[in-house]
Amino acid sequence: MTSLKDISRRRIAEFKRERDASSNGGRRKKKFSLLSIGKGIDIPFIIIMLALLIIGITMMFSASYPVAFYEIGDSYYYLKRQLIFAVIGLVIMFAVSFVDYHYYHRFAAIILGVSYFALVLVLVLPSQAGGVHRWIGFGAFGIQASEISKFAIILFMAHWGSRYYDKMGTLKYGVLPGAAVFGSTAALLLLEPHYSCIVICAMLTVIMMFVSGIKIKWLAIGAGVLAVIIILLWVTGALTYAMERMDGWGQALNDDLDRDMWNATWQTRNSLYAIGSGGLFGLGLGQSRQKYLYLPEPQNDFIFAIVCEELGLVGAVVILLIFALLVWRGVIISLRARDRFGKLLGIGLISHIGLQVILNILVITDWLPNTGISLPFFSYGGSSLLTLMFEMGVILSVSRTSNIEKS
Amino acid sequence: MGANQKLRRRTVWLLVIILALGFGAVITRLAFLQLVQGEELQRRAIEQQLSDTPISAKRGTIYDTNGKILAQSASVWHVVMAPAYFDDGPEGDEQRAFVAKRLSEILKLDEKELLEETKQNTYYVSVKRKIESEEKEQILKLKEELAEKYQKSGILSLLDDYKRYYPYNDLASSVIGFTGSEDQGLSGVEYQYNDDLSGTPGRIVSAQNGIQTEMPFDYNQNIGAIDGNSLVLTIDETVQSITEKYMKQAVIDNDVKERGVCVIMNVNNGEVLAMATVNGFNPNDPYTINKDQKEEIDKIDNDYLIEHEYTEDPSLLSKEERDKLITQAKNEAESAALARNWRNKAISDTYYPGSVFKMVTLSMALEEGVVNKDSRFVCTGAFQLYDDTIHCHNTAGHGSQTYAECLLNSCNPGFIQIGQLVGKEKFWNYYQAFGFSEKTGIDLPGESDDQFFIHDGVEGNMLDTDLAVASFGQNFSITPIQMITAASAVANGGYIVQPHVVKQILDAEGNVVKNVSTETKRQVISESVSKEMCGILEENATTGSGSNGYVAGYRVGGKTGTSEKLIDVNGDGVDDHIASFCGFSPANNPQYIALVFFDAPTAGNYYGSAVAAPVFVSIMSEVLPYLEVVAQYTDDEANNINVAAGPYTGMSAEDAIKAVEGDGFIAVLKGEGTTVKTQNPPTGTLTPTGGTIVLYTDDSAATDVVTVPNFTGYSVSDCNYIAATYGLNVSVTGMVSSGSTAVSQSVPEGSEVTPGTVITLTFTGTGIAD
Repeated sequence: MTSLKDISRRRIAEFKRERDASSNGGRRKKKFSLLSIGKGIDIPFIIIMLALLIIGITMMFSASYPVAFYEIGDSYYYLKRQLIFAVIGLVIMFAVSFVDYHYYHRFAAIILGVSYFALVLVLVLPSQAGGVHRWIGFGAFGIQASEISKFAIILFMAHWGSRYYDKMGTLKYGVLPGAAVFGSTAALLLLEPHYSCIVICAMLTVIMMFVSGIKIKWLAIGAGVLAVIIILLWVTGALTYAMERMDGWGQALNDDLDRDMWNATWQTRNSLYAIGSGGLFGLGLGQSRQKYLYLPEPQNDFIFAIVCEELGLVGAVVILLIFALLVWRGVIISLRARDRFGKLLGIGLISHIGLQVILNILVITDWLPNTGISLPFFSYGGSSLLTLMFEMGVILSVSRTSNIEKS
Repeated sequence: MGANQKLRRRTVWLLVIILALGFGAVITRLAFLQLVQGEELQRRAIEQQLSDTPISAKRGTIYDTNGKILAQSASVWHVVMAPAYFDDGPEGDEQRAFVAKRLSEILKLDEKELLEETKQNTYYVSVKRKIESEEKEQILKLKEELAEKYQKSGILSLLDDYKRYYPYNDLASSVIGFTGSEDQGLSGVEYQYNDDLSGTPGRIVSAQNGIQTEMPFDYNQNIGAIDGNSLVLTIDETVQSITEKYMKQAVIDNDVKERGVCVIMNVNNGEVLAMATVNGFNPNDPYTINKDQKEEIDKIDNDYLIEHEYTEDPSLLSKEERDKLITQAKNEAESAALARNWRNKAISDTYYPGSVFKMVTLSMALEEGVVNKDSRFVCTGAFQLYDDTIHCHNTAGHGSQTYAECLLNSCNPGFIQIGQLVGKEKFWNYYQAFGFSEKTGIDLPGESDDQFFIHDGVEGNMLDTDLAVASFGQNFSITPIQMITAASAVANGGYIVQPHVVKQILDAEGNVVKNVSTETKRQVISESVSKEMCGILEENATTGSGSNGYVAGYRVGGKTGTSEKLIDVNGDGVDDHIASFCGFSPANNPQYIALVFFDAPTAGNYYGSAVAAPVFVSIMSEVLPYLEVVAQYTDDEANNINVAAGPYTGMSAEDAIKAVEGDGFIAVLKGEGTTVKTQNPPTGTLTPTGGTIVLYTDDSAATDVVTVPNFTGYSVSDCNYIAATYGLNVSVTGMVSSGSTAVSQSVPEGSEVTPGTVITLTFTGTGIAD
């Protein structure tokens, strides 16, 4: 076990090395610390991320221009905005990457508070389309309260897990605080309502608890309770009913739907049509037909359906592999982070991206109900992109302390 | 285990779960959708992305043998609706109500049903087919209204469609048939050749976006409709018209209950020139029954209900129930009437051929050599076979006859004996060989099978009594087309030729796709037997029982037939009959054969010789000249055609004109007097029927002259015309046909003669004369 004494000893040694290096003939060994072990950000991670961002924006443009043309009259409408957001996002990302993430330790509680405030605020603000309370608007710019909540949960769990790393095996420290934060957040999300976010928050909470080192039995007990509830719901028929009520989940390809059901499943159905139309090699970049007002909002959550249609299974798998690489690299960075807080924070954030990708594609392929989960780097949207880039900045900040080869 | 180690291990687990399970599941799902389900999903995607508009193919035209149009398709329109484009919610309901209301007004459709159709979630609902241009204009206007009012452009559309027109109405309706609402043939050649006529519908496939406007890029595929092939029938409109004219009149005159049939066929190649079933129907309006049928149906009352076993006692029923039954009976009677009108009696109904069949029996006997010139057949007026007595129509008996006399007398006992000489087995063999046991294979739908004797389950297994009655055509049923096909074989040298009504199939540009060739199935009797039969039948038509079938100026062979139906059609307590006549011409070289057939004439006379033969003569007298059959004048025949001018001198002018016209001439009165003083041609001069008789009431006859013009080199009709303009009469001799010209004239050109003088012209031609 590494004691606090060891850490401070190592810190002192580190500072000594730095000082030696800087005083070595008045010349710093590594002037700009972009690449260096210790202070530089991780170049492979950046390259992977930029690749995703470029492919994402390209595909977003391809998917959005018919909608932009027909509905707004400017084919480049979404592209222009997304490019601006991307530039701002990159700036934010680099700026954040210079911020020592230890800073967030003290903000964990505050950000959690902001999260609660935002969740309550959206409930009193006027509702959006579909009667949901999700967005907080700042003029033309809006942000989903849940975006803050997810980050807040990751941050809190990382903070707690590193602060009380030696007590994580207990119920009191390992399980209850996380459960309390998740439970209260989920309760507020339930009022919005925003079910998919509850699912993501639950998964993030569990992931953070798991890697923080809580006893497996608690997870097993949790899983057992969940299974019992599901079985109970299933036996009483409530589950089937709920599934049917969930906007025709799994019904999209059914041939005899009434008009309401037909409309409810419209987006999913057209998503499936788009994916299926792609086949192995796709129709070619820009050649999607489903984006011509068949698939509603192809630039948002369902963008990957258009990707599948244009680039085929091969293109989709390549993109998924790049995502996998990003997750892989992110995990490597996190594991090599200098301290537990960095490790947990990095793992939490990169897991979030991985989860978003998986859940998004399960939604567009009708394995999950259509509930609004965006695809990182691909889906159009200023606030989600900026939030994402902020999180990337945090991971990069972690990478600065990470003990890996960064070029 | 240290906390960091634990974290590292758990993170690796997490990574495995996320990457392997999560990404694995996602990629599996995508692969399933894109590779396994891909084809089906793509099909469904394309279905909605492409607006697939069908283009009707134009149905081929049906021509008669000379290119006259018997059936033709003309452009009309088809209204279709895409109700999926209506909005949801109350706006959509308003739009639906509006469209349903306006459509019901324009197209005279039920508004409620239309409203139901607007609620469907599809892109293609057929609203109404075959609308005319007036309705089309209103639909276009409605489309504009929809665009203005609701910004909806794709809901209604008009497609090209075609409507069938039959310029000659009910002419040859049973042969031509008619088409249904989907342009499909339902009877006649319209049905038989539907695949040829209908062509291949095309489609316009164009990409459209989710709001049904064109895609920005070009994605149009136009698969043109291939118009249907046209048919050239063997039916000749002129022959058919002549036939139907006389048949209709005869049906009225003889009060024929079960319609009449006339088939005219080329004996050598099986081409059917006319096939009439009267009364038929009007293919322009096939679902309307005839007026007299309508009257019959309107008469349906309680008695009818009892008679047709709808109920035992209508008085026990309430008024509603009774009315309901009457309505039902009327509907059923109307359906039955329609079905009857559509039925082509010439091929679909069977009958006892009666004495017409004797030509077949005698052919068998001659071919088998079981009769010869010395054979004698005694008729005592009846024939005793076991317990049955079979009567001859001549109850006094025909005495001792040769086989030819048997036919001339149409003697039943004589033919029983001839049949017995042939024998049951041979009779059955010949019956089959003449094609009675099989369908003729005519290219029309609904041909019926014969019904021959069956004993112990074996067809053709005849009893002695069966053979006896079969010899003169009783107690077995065949179709008229089978009879005429067999009679053709008797006349044409013994060849069974398959009858057909389509001569040629042409494509839309008029190129010949197919020429129908003559199909000779087999030879059943030898040329010499056929020749002998022709001679006997000609004699029969001239002096025998068939002499009512004699067509002046033509050599005709034929046989009458009167068969018992064994059914009382008109309910007068007596079984009804079928009167028929089958004859061909010229007898020495048969070309055309006709079968005239009346089912249940009830005006008193029902004999073939009295009912059918005169109709045969009327029809053939017009048809044979039209068909350019060589007229063959013998001296006797010339006498029949040139009639002696009567004595008109001394009559008053008025009486004389009447007398002249009564004798079949045209009177030309000259002079101011009141009494006829002289006439030209003089009394007793053989003058052509329809010629001019000049009547002089003063003495100008001596000075009144015309100069004879030149006739040589002109055709018969030209000569007649020239003669008429000069006031002369011409008598024709030699071989007269449309191709022949006059080669000499009895009075030379330039001579001065009195008007009305008969000049004999001699013709030769390229036709065959024997």
